[in-house]
Amino acid sequence: MNVLDPLLGLYLVLLAPPASALLALIPYSGASRMAARVGSLVALAAALALLVDGTSGRWGLYLGLDSLSRVFLVMVTSVYATSTWYSEGYLRGVHQPFLTPQLYYALLGAFAFAMVATLVVTDLGLMWIGIEATTVASALLVVLERKPTSVEAAWRYTLIASAGLTIALFALLLIYADTGTLDAFALAATHPALSLPIEMAVALALVGYGTKVGLFPMHTWLPDAHSEAPSPISAMFSGVLLPTALYAFLRVYAILPSPAPAMVTDLLVTFGLATALSGAFLLQRQRSFKRLLAYSSMEVMGIAVVGVALGGVALYGALVLLVTHAFAKSAAFYCAGNVLRSTGTTRVDEVRDLQHLMPRTGGAWVLASFAVTGAPPFGTFLGELLIVMGAIAAGWYWLALLLVLAVLVAFLGVNSQIGRMVFGSSSAKGSVQTRVPEDSAAVAYLNVAIALAVGVASLPYLSDAIRAASSLLGGSPP
Amino acid sequence: MLSTADVIAFVGVGILLTALFLQSESFISPLIQGIALQSLLLALLLGWLASTEGSLDLALLAGLTVVVRALVIPYVLRRQIRAFHWRIREIHAASRVTGHALAAVAAAIIAWFVFQQTLASVFPQPGAALPFVLLVQGLLMLATRSNTLVQVIGYLEEENAIVYAGALFASAFPLFVEVVVFLDVLGVVLVGVILSIQRDVTGSPEQAGLEELAG
Repeated sequence: MNVLDPLLGLYLVLLAPPASALLALIPYSGASRMAARVGSLVALAAALALLVDGTSGRWGLYLGLDSLSRVFLVMVTSVYATSTWYSEGYLRGVHQPFLTPQLYYALLGAFAFAMVATLVVTDLGLMWIGIEATTVASALLVVLERKPTSVEAAWRYTLIASAGLTIALFALLLIYADTGTLDAFALAATHPALSLPIEMAVALALVGYGTKVGLFPMHTWLPDAHSEAPSPISAMFSGVLLPTALYAFLRVYAILPSPAPAMVTDLLVTFGLATALSGAFLLQRQRSFKRLLAYSSMEVMGIAVVGVALGGVALYGALVLLVTHAFAKSAAFYCAGNVLRSTGTTRVDEVRDLQHLMPRTGGAWVLASFAVTGAPPFGTFLGELLIVMGAIAAGWYWLALLLVLAVLVAFLGVNSQIGRMVFGSSSAKGSVQTRVPEDSAAVAYLNVAIALAVGVASLPYLSDAIRAASSLLGGSPP
Repeated sequence: MLSTADVIAFVGVGILLTALFLQSESFISPLIQGIALQSLLLALLLGWLASTEGSLDLALLAGLTVVVRALVIPYVLRRQIRAFHWRIREIHAASRVTGHALAAVAAAIIAWFVFQQTLASVFPQPGAALPFVLLVQGLLMLATRSNTLVQVIGYLEEENAIVYAGALFASAFPLFVEVVVFLDVLGVVLVGVILSIQRDVTGSPEQAGLEELAG
């Protein structure tokens, strides 16, 4: 359906975030917030128009769109919009912030721009620049609350992510030296002949971009940055930054013929499974509810990488999982932000009885935690089920068993802790110190509803785009 | 008359020696001088290749390397040290210095061996393994040091490795200048902003190992 000229849509989705970032610097009260909100909504509207339009193609030397980029654009701009709307209330509760609201909204727009730019370019080098730019734009957002722990988290994030990305850049050097081009669309269409440099490049890209995806053992920045960043930024980290980094890897992976060489498949399964299991088991002993959510993201990313490796129906499941997780995890972080602002703590054992103290936030948090841990009928359940079915269909029974183990362990770990905070007796310890208007829970409910809709219904246009994206990468939707 | 192969060999040996020196040095000031020297050597190679190939991109890279990594960032790092009012020595025990040096030599040999086994046939240029060795050295420094100033030096060494690799076997790599500019911007953000915040908030250049970030 033609609702908007695709090139105009592309320019709108690409330029709305930086335009809002520049306008946010206007030193008038409320202007920065308004600019950020309008910019995020324009970007979301443009991404939805591109999804409905369905046009694939390329414009000029470096801009291009296909079903994969359209799906990721909707994810990124949706969470960008909800995080922008959620930010206002959150910022009011931050005492002596390191950034003024103007700078905060400007960096938020720059962060979104870096991710959107990664998704609409056709050149692997530009995608790498986009991913690197996300680090530059978001590192300072992590230190908003000016705590020693947040400074250390920002440092570790910047350093580890950048070290990983230099390895990814080496991968691109190998691809260019072997093929003479970095055009992702052309390379995916022609599939250059398999060679040692290409296989090494894919392996190095997995390690390099995998650092930013949070794959084990390069994940160490992830729990720190997610837990120390302000909640709207944590939502963007978990919900869309990790998938955007995975997207950059998928573009490198797509140059391989289908099915991928066994060495690459084994490598992906190894990294993915190790990440899923370590995330699931490490979250059991977390005392901070934000770190709990961070390790849960790691577990989900690991399962998604296994889905990519298995191909077929599992690859479709991986994309469904990524889309649903983006909405569900951002909702969970918004709830965590409300609780943090109200109680002044991130410690699980200091928060109880949210069902009475913060009923709307508590309710949304329970639903969001079910959604992120793959409970039916949320889309995460569908995605994880398809990945396990893919493993069984490929004859990898032990892999299916270990995936189910990771899912169950993460489900029990996350929901038991969130359940204690929501339904536990208030006589234990801790209490709400500051009454926070719970209106901001509305964006959490909205995102949970979308996560539910992906699981129970075939969402118009989005479901079709996920199917097409899966086929593009060699998968086979059910 | 020097040939390009002579310059590549001379610079390669110099870069390797500076990399090993950086791994075995325990004082911060010589480390900063070491990375500045390594960047100058790299700029020399880039300048030579720029003049022989008539490449404006390589000339620009040579200039960027001198300005950002040999002058500006080392200058900011030295100011960081002065602000702390003490002579920063990261590693105190002699045995740990020896351990770092031995680990660096072992890592260099392993990286060279891996390159020869996998990619030497694809990249037969003289000294093509050295950027790979330098990348591993930078990663080793990032992984084994706890002082943030030293970690910045490890990061700069990695960046030097990327530029070195691009100069040797992918000088036509599209957007290479832009990539290096981005890496430099990140370096400046790292050094200029986060280090300053860290000093103001924690009063120390050491990674705190804070209890809350454990696990």
